Amino acid sequence: LAIRIYTLKGEQQGLRFWVTGVILIFMPLIFTACGNQKADINKEVHIVKDDLGREIKLSSRPKRVFALAASMTEMLYAILDTSTIIARTPQDNFPAAVYSKPVVSNYPVDYEEILRLKPDLIFTIEGITPLDVASRLEELGVPVYYQKYNKVNDVFTGLEDIGRIMGQEEKANSVADSLKKQVELLRQKYANASQSPKVLAITWSDPIYVYGRNTILTDKLQILGAENAVQESFDQPYPALTREYILKLNPDVLLGGSKEKLEEKFFSLYPELRKIKAYQQNRMFEPTDDLMSRPSPRVVESLVELEGFLYKK
Amino acid sequence: MMYRSIYFLVAVCLILVVMILGLQVGSFESGLNTVLESIFQYDPDNTTHYAIIQLRLPRLLLALAVGASLAFCGYLMQAMVNNGLADPYLLGTASGASLGAVVVFFGFIEISIGGFYMPPILALVGAFIVTLVVIALGYRKRQLIPAQLLLAGIALSSLVTAIVGLLTFLSDSEGKLKSVIFWSMGSLERASWSLVPYPAVVIILALILFFFYQKQLNVLLLGEERAQALGVRVARTRWVILGTVSVVTGFAVATSGPIGFVGLIIPHVTRGLMGATGRFNLLFCAFIGGFFMLICDLLARVIYPPAGLPIGIITSFFGVPFFVYLLFKKNYNFRG
Repeated sequence: LAIRIYTLKGEQQGLRFWVTGVILIFMPLIFTACGNQKADINKEVHIVKDDLGREIKLSSRPKRVFALAASMTEMLYAILDTSTIIARTPQDNFPAAVYSKPVVSNYPVDYEEILRLKPDLIFTIEGITPLDVASRLEELGVPVYYQKYNKVNDVFTGLEDIGRIMGQEEKANSVADSLKKQVELLRQKYANASQSPKVLAITWSDPIYVYGRNTILTDKLQILGAENAVQESFDQPYPALTREYILKLNPDVLLGGSKEKLEEKFFSLYPELRKIKAYQQNRMFEPTDDLMSRPSPRVVESLVELEGFLYKK
Repeated sequence: MMYRSIYFLVAVCLILVVMILGLQVGSFESGLNTVLESIFQYDPDNTTHYAIIQLRLPRLLLALAVGASLAFCGYLMQAMVNNGLADPYLLGTASGASLGAVVVFFGFIEISIGGFYMPPILALVGAFIVTLVVIALGYRKRQLIPAQLLLAGIALSSLVTAIVGLLTFLSDSEGKLKSVIFWSMGSLERASWSLVPYPAVVIILALILFFFYQKQLNVLLLGEERAQALGVRVARTRWVILGTVSVVTGFAVATSGPIGFVGLIIPHVTRGLMGATGRFNLLFCAFIGGFFMLICDLLARVIYPPAGLPIGIITSFFGVPFFVYLLFKKNYNFRG
């Protein structure tokens, strides 16, 4: 622009003088108008608190949303109309309808694409989206709502919260109630289980990372009358363990792969661990990765799958 | 001469003490009695005995072998390029090994082929390939030019590190990232009786070989021209050093990842204690390197149980202050 203005000549320079003058005179008025507009919006702002205690300001009921975590996308699809969900991340694969949505990179976050899509609100979960990314998005005018889940019931509370924010309370409550009932039935079924098998779920074999105490798996196992073999609480949800520690835990059940798969990729690397009960008694199973790792409405499906492993005849 | 023998004796005693302490640290509670019992009356059905003999002991021996290897190679490299800043990874061994391991972790090659766990094997291959390229680049007019070799090593390491970085960035799984990060900081967790012999045999053979080359090494410290004037076949000595460093470092890195700092500081400690031209410097350097690695492994397991901190972090944390102390110690000189 500066270059263009410098090329103006003669009357054009006079024109530039008048335009600049008019802008300078009206500038305070423009700012005042903007200020008033902001004040008007402020009058209608709804403040909601997310699971991290952050305050999110919404000027109106969100109409265009998406999630930065695959599990959260599943939560949104359980409640909202598909037209409300405007994008997906590269990891999203459920439900199948999600494939029709444009892809937004969540690592690293594609801010420009997000601005182009103009979402009213982004949902995500703790641990997937760093807080500084959320702050940056909010600076760009896109609010971010976090959820976190320690127990299975937190998923249902999360569904109800999404329903409240999106004006879909009835549907959200109905979905949550139905799932809660199924979980309660399972809880009652195993409330008086005589034995509680110790389950170790590995997420990676080199180094050995496992589902720690403070993951939703611990609650899932308790519902099914079993327990997480990792009794110690570590800072990380998925702590790294040594072979010696696992030998000491001596789990009854090992989740992370079929016997053949674990034999090839785990026990061949750590032959000393063939001493654990799970190996000796051949109780090694391969749960569906997405069901295990995603706290989503499919949590009941995950419970049923785990039940099958734990109480296989 | 007498004080040197005392230093040797002290080093051996310290290694034994730290090994006995190391055998007592782990998830199973085990005092000195249990350790001695598991050594002299081993019962494979007793899980504590099993953990001590099958897990802790090979780990300590691996630490000893890898520490000795890195320190030994550091000493050789510093003598060869006549520079106290040299370390065994100058030939690109660490970055080459990392690339080899990353190629497997990211699924370009099956993680297990024919029952063999591929990351250490590919790490060894990667280390050798990159080292060979560096040597080829540092070779001109039928002889090795140390300065050119150093620059080639730095440049190629940067390139390979960038490739590793690119693959890491494009990784589609958090697990793969963890593997790479864990591996790149070094770990002795994979130690087993089947793994320990490789680095151990290699370092023992290298120590025997260099028992006959110690004199040439000391003369090399005087500079190329003087060494040649004194009858040392400089070119041949350099080739022997390069070949040995490539093999010994390759095996050390392949079995435990690129553990930093040991190869840089331990040679200085050796010269600080034994003088720059001691006859048994290389052997002492290997002992001290092994001892240093044992201490670091013990600290890593005690500070952050059960998994332990990555060993590379500890070697730097505890190595740097000592290195700084040495730098300021007035009576220490690189060339004696």
